[in-house]
Amino acid sequence: MSSARRSMVLAISLAVLMAGCATRATSSSSAGSEPPPPVVETLPNGLTLVVQDHRAADIVAVHLWVATGVRFEDPKGLGYAHFQEHMLFKGTDTFGPGYIDRAVEGTGGRSNAFTTYDYTTFQILVPSDATKTAIGLLDDMAFRSKFDPKEISAEREVIFEETRIQTDNPRDAIVRRAYSAVFGDHPYGRPLLGTPETMNAATQKDLQAFNHRYYTPENMTLVVVGPVQAKAVRALVDQTFGKRPRTGYTPPANPPLKPITEPVRIKVDRPEQQAYLVLAWQAPSLAEPDAAALDLAATILGGSESSRLALTLRDTERLVSRVDMNNASQKLAGIVYIRVQLEAGDVDKVERRILEEITRLQREGPTEPERELAVTRAESDHATAYETTDGVAGAYGITMIQATLDNELRYLDRLKSITRAQIQAAAQKYLSTTAYAWIAFVPRRAQ
Amino acid sequence: MIRRHLVLLAVLSLLAPAVAGAEMAGVTRNRLPNGFTVIVRENNAAPLVAYSLLVKMGTRNETPETAGISNMLQLMMVRGTEKMSGEEIAAAADKLGGSIDAYGDADYSEITATALSRNWQAMLDIVGDVALRPTLPDGTLGAVRDFLVRQIRNRGEKPYDVASDQTRLALFGPRHPYSWDYIGRSEAVQRLNRDTLMAWYRRQYVPSQMVLAVSGDVKSSEVMPAVQRLFGAMPAGKAEAPTVPAPPAMAATREVFKVPGAQAQIFMSTLAPALTHPDYPVLKVMSAILGGGMASRFFSELRDQQALAYATAALYPPRIDTGSWIGLLGTGPDNVAKAEAALKDQLRRIQNEPASAEEVAVARSYVVGTQQMDRRTNARQAWYLAAAELAGLPHDYFDTYAAAVKKVTPADVMRVAKQYLGVVRTVIVQPN
Repeated sequence: MSSARRSMVLAISLAVLMAGCATRATSSSSAGSEPPPPVVETLPNGLTLVVQDHRAADIVAVHLWVATGVRFEDPKGLGYAHFQEHMLFKGTDTFGPGYIDRAVEGTGGRSNAFTTYDYTTFQILVPSDATKTAIGLLDDMAFRSKFDPKEISAEREVIFEETRIQTDNPRDAIVRRAYSAVFGDHPYGRPLLGTPETMNAATQKDLQAFNHRYYTPENMTLVVVGPVQAKAVRALVDQTFGKRPRTGYTPPANPPLKPITEPVRIKVDRPEQQAYLVLAWQAPSLAEPDAAALDLAATILGGSESSRLALTLRDTERLVSRVDMNNASQKLAGIVYIRVQLEAGDVDKVERRILEEITRLQREGPTEPERELAVTRAESDHATAYETTDGVAGAYGITMIQATLDNELRYLDRLKSITRAQIQAAAQKYLSTTAYAWIAFVPRRAQ
Repeated sequence: MIRRHLVLLAVLSLLAPAVAGAEMAGVTRNRLPNGFTVIVRENNAAPLVAYSLLVKMGTRNETPETAGISNMLQLMMVRGTEKMSGEEIAAAADKLGGSIDAYGDADYSEITATALSRNWQAMLDIVGDVALRPTLPDGTLGAVRDFLVRQIRNRGEKPYDVASDQTRLALFGPRHPYSWDYIGRSEAVQRLNRDTLMAWYRRQYVPSQMVLAVSGDVKSSEVMPAVQRLFGAMPAGKAEAPTVPAPPAMAATREVFKVPGAQAQIFMSTLAPALTHPDYPVLKVMSAILGGGMASRFFSELRDQQALAYATAALYPPRIDTGSWIGLLGTGPDNVAKAEAALKDQLRRIQNEPASAEEVAVARSYVVGTQQMDRRTNARQAWYLAAAELAGLPHDYFDTYAAAVKKVTPADVMRVAKQYLGVVRTVIVQPN
């Protein structure tokens, strides 16, 4: 789950969601156009640099990944990770507000940034001759942002608008509710954008303090992907990020997770006539061996065009118009959810039918063609992510924050070795038919 | 879901240029004797292949009585052929590590498919089957129709969609095909049946109006003959040229609509020249200055400085006929009056004060870069190649377009701003 600072249009938020949680791609095992392996270095100040040579287009992706996000916020400072992210575009000691956008777009490039529970990332995509510009800008943003109080007040209103947009979009909004239902008081259950109280209270000092505490070289990974040489990139990084001093930052202890032990039911009256239903569970972290088996179970049950729920509930019984299922991993624990779009009168029936399909998967396991298909799907998702430089940089960044680079590079091989029994076991272990979160968005008029 | 984003991106950015020269090197074209065109682009960056089968059919070919027929036909195309049911088509594509989908749009309709490149032949067979032997089965037709009617209903609940629909209606008048979204009108869609759809298919799927572009880790020497085998047998047929009514003359209008929701939308719009018009690249740069990217005035001034909007943009989708330019912003309900005045002020200023040379230079790079960025994937590459071909654009179009964009001056920008933004229509959607 992520929140984008800079969507130009409403519709992009869904793509962001995908980028934030669903990207779970890996290295290709197919022969032929195998790319060279990534070069990983740790700088003397603790910053990790990952460089991947990728020659599909003359475009370089430069991503800064910072291992901080919503779950690191102080309870009195909810929303500051994201607020702080916005402020990095609002002027530095060197450049005025708006400079970063002009500089990036003046090269023909694009920039973006996302805040999630585990990480905050700043992403610049430029023609390769502007790689130096992109690295320099990110360094300046991360370490020399101004947090001008005037800009803070203006940006606060922008974030309130962002909150309104997310509330308006039911498909996103219902998944957000699922996080709070599944994780309760744990930081993973927090609102990404803070509360009106905490947001209104945020001062220059608060946001600067957040920045100084977490934006340290030891807590950062810089990923550069494109037609580039590792040595040349390292030289550029040495002159910028490499000069920032180590601060001795150590990550705080992780708060313990409480599993759901009984059904959590949240019903929300909404302005739309279309109803939505989500069933959600806690899922393993990206680094746990079960994660890949649950990925396959999710694809088989509801995550593809010919998944069980698509074929039964959508195509045969026509109880839902749309169904999807995602295993969105995070560092400490992920969330796996089924989301359907349906008519309000069918909510109870659909819940029952979903539970029946889960039970069937738990009892009988998947068929061999289903397993093969889910693996093919993963292979194809992987190839699609690795088609572009920004796709690769995204996959590397997420794995560096949530697991290890090796976890990513071997993901596909691991996935191929998973047996039907392991998929069945993952469905039994994680998709409880008695303890789950249930969130329904129903039309106000039907009440 | 993601496909629709691609469409949206296309609308935002279609036909800005590319790193053309080098990329065009790997492209092969072939026109079959029946008029069907094939384009293959070899790209071994990832083990994937993408197909884009474009037909010169869209809302532009429709009337108010058939509004939505092209899109509904497309949805039905992938729901059954003489060999396979819709479920079998989806399952087969899934098994090849890909997907196949189809939808309509304003000028063109697309059947789009991707697969792992080792399965290129099997996926091509599915594309051929869907395009050449659709049965439009009665069994699923009702469900598709219900789905569309629901989608149209849902549009009426979303502030952004209501604002775009009302803007189109105000600009083009109720009988002009650009006045409805590709999804159509509820009354028209409810009346469509298998016979009307099949007749539409026979009329529109004419080889000279079709282009199949292929991009991916494939060999042109293998793909070309395979495509020829599949599509070469189509009878040549006769292409129809739709007669599109002229939109009403521009007039300053202002309408307010109430829709439940948390956000308000303000759209200011005008009629804007077609893709092939000499002003197109200039207006594209003007549009970028106003609301193209995050360096644009809407974004930096309305959003960042004045905090009057979260979402704001200028849209200038390429069209075969006279289309639309829209400046828009989404804002909180309390901000409407201020935001409307600010947006109006933006349109006034660009007509009366020349933009700085730096601003124009950034906008030019933005327009050029947009397309370069958008064409990163095989699916988009295929779509661009097919769309340029169907639009009758020269093969070096992307180069000449980029050159035209790079020549735009501050004076050019002020000239088109005066010419096109003097009179605008305003549509406001507010929560009730």
